Amino acid sequence: MEGWAGKILTIDLTSGSLETSPLDKDMARLYLGGRGLGGRLLWDLVGPEVKPLDPENVLIFTTGPITASGSQTSSRFNVSTKSPLTGTLLHSNSGGWWGMQFKRTGFDVLIVKGKAEKPVYITITRDGVTVEEASHLWGKTVFETTDELGQNRNKRNVLCIGPAGENLVRIAAIMNDRERALARGGPGAVMGSKNLKAIVVEGHEKNEVAENDQFKFMLYETRKLLKASPLTSQALPEFGTAVVMNVINEIGALPTRNFQQSQFEHAYEISGEAITDEILVKNQACWACPISCTRITKTAGGKEGEGPEFESTWAFGAQCGIDDLDLIAEANYQANDLGLDTISMGNIIGCAMELAQKGCLDADLDFGQAEMLAGLIRDTAYRHGLGDDMAEGSYRMAIKYGAPELSMTVKKLELPAYDPRGMQGQGLVYATSNRGACHETGNMLGPEVLALPRLIDRFATQGKAGIVSVHQDSAAVVDSLVYCKFTNMAVAEEFFARTLSAVTGLPFTADDLMKVGERVWNLERMYNLREGFTSADDTLPDRLLNEPVAEGPSKGFTAKLPPMLKEYYQFRGWDENGVPRPRKLRELSLEFTMEETND
Amino acid sequence: LRVKLFGSLRSVIDGQTGRNAVEATGDTVGEVLQELCTRYPGLRDAIFHGHDLGPHIRVMINGRDIALLSGLETAVGENDQIAIFPPIAGGLAWLTRKSSKESQ
Repeated sequence: MEGWAGKILTIDLTSGSLETSPLDKDMARLYLGGRGLGGRLLWDLVGPEVKPLDPENVLIFTTGPITASGSQTSSRFNVSTKSPLTGTLLHSNSGGWWGMQFKRTGFDVLIVKGKAEKPVYITITRDGVTVEEASHLWGKTVFETTDELGQNRNKRNVLCIGPAGENLVRIAAIMNDRERALARGGPGAVMGSKNLKAIVVEGHEKNEVAENDQFKFMLYETRKLLKASPLTSQALPEFGTAVVMNVINEIGALPTRNFQQSQFEHAYEISGEAITDEILVKNQACWACPISCTRITKTAGGKEGEGPEFESTWAFGAQCGIDDLDLIAEANYQANDLGLDTISMGNIIGCAMELAQKGCLDADLDFGQAEMLAGLIRDTAYRHGLGDDMAEGSYRMAIKYGAPELSMTVKKLELPAYDPRGMQGQGLVYATSNRGACHETGNMLGPEVLALPRLIDRFATQGKAGIVSVHQDSAAVVDSLVYCKFTNMAVAEEFFARTLSAVTGLPFTADDLMKVGERVWNLERMYNLREGFTSADDTLPDRLLNEPVAEGPSKGFTAKLPPMLKEYYQFRGWDENGVPRPRKLRELSLEFTMEETND
Repeated sequence: LRVKLFGSLRSVIDGQTGRNAVEATGDTVGEVLQELCTRYPGLRDAIFHGHDLGPHIRVMINGRDIALLSGLETAVGENDQIAIFPPIAGGLAWLTRKSSKESQ
């Protein structure tokens, strides 16, 4: 069974038991790995009776058949759980080295159940699997923990939580390899609720591929495609992910001051160009990645670290009306060290700033106060003062202060860096994303802005549903293999299928992969319906639906969601309430979800 | 009118870090770009393939992509702003047949 290691490791922290079980081959073919396999296992393991921070919730770390193969960007892995921020199914994936190293321990999947009595950490090495006491690590930051547990990039890799996860902050990330993050939706809080501080892996098994000559040919072909794409060969290496800051701002879709405006007058000062000009030290790549989009930066204050990525720069920048690139970068380092989702963190700070601006919150806080970032981030991670409210996410915080309309969230997950009023399709992506507002599950940046593969009118609504659906299914495929989304912008699914066939020895076509993507998407939908979510949750913040943009290229536009949503349900084969029809579920081999949801 | 250049195109106008805008004249986007190419010869190779814009060059007027307006024939006035982006996307299409044929 090349491609997959064929084994699942389950650790019950309550009982201390360890169990190895075979990976179901049929399940592997239907869901591949990563996000798909994680979601399928979560369906069986965590029902609606389980609250996210209960010991009965699980953390499912999954790799994919591509992971550790050496194929370009094959370092990635996924975590699936029930989100403490949203209550939805949560999937989140990360690059770096940990995923490759874990796969080389001989497992595809690690399931962590239960709750340890005292803080512990797990080691998976050539010598076996151990659960060790971690009281001496509890309270330490991500960087301290990673260093203390002996991170050694290509030999021994550390995944851990910081103080935010320990304090059950709903936007806490799980960090790996110091500054890579499984961030969105609060998986770090689930890890904290289990008293699990870290997981250390040392791999030793070689991952065999079924058809070596074909695999080598696909490596060659993929390398050519990545070189041919201006994004992966020039823009990302030269300017990092923040290369899109200026173009998003130029079109009037860069959310500014908690989405009160859609252009930031200082966007250039915090763009990828500015990062390269002012604070870049060098590029860095994840394992097996030729793109090298990661930025190692150093601020005027002498602090050094990874990033900031585009979304983080936006979150601590335009969203908060802040143009101080040094302090934005330092806020990013700090959020990584404390183990926080930078998108949600910046979004929440922007929300708090507007709450104060509008007089709902009695705090000396206003947009543009860069010097406030460090204190607000620290207070959130440790739940001090206002930080205790911020740690609950902007939805709960805005309700507490009597202004729920100021929370820029979908399904309680904070929105990323694109204003749907200037990118109508992106609004549909946010509204229908199974884990809440998310740009990673079907981003419309390509067709609506970058002309990838061709430019479509970003203000149009008709016809967007089908394009969004295909993007969502494609993203689910990439997340299940597991590849990086940037590869996805240069390499077509046909090539993924050929590589997967070479790795596994099984015949996969592009259509097969798209069917997997559609299956994963519908499974996640059914999971959320089982949790009690309805079509009423497929919406956007009131501001985006009803407040036209006041100035700039998107002036006068609101997010016209209802017509797109109706078309989307039809295109998906769902009924008018957004419920997948039995025929669609049968077509995708998801009958089991229908039976259980009907009970 | 004001023309902003981003990414690697900034080096074409004077190579100074931080400067990314120049003033130019013309009645259409094409005329403005031709004037700039005369003034900054390196710009022609960077953005044109023959008489057409390079395949992944994005040119916007007041935030609207000229590909959805009248291309290089798009009329401009002195209060307009043009933005030129170097290739930041391209390569193989990921979008597949189903979306465009069935949905649009």
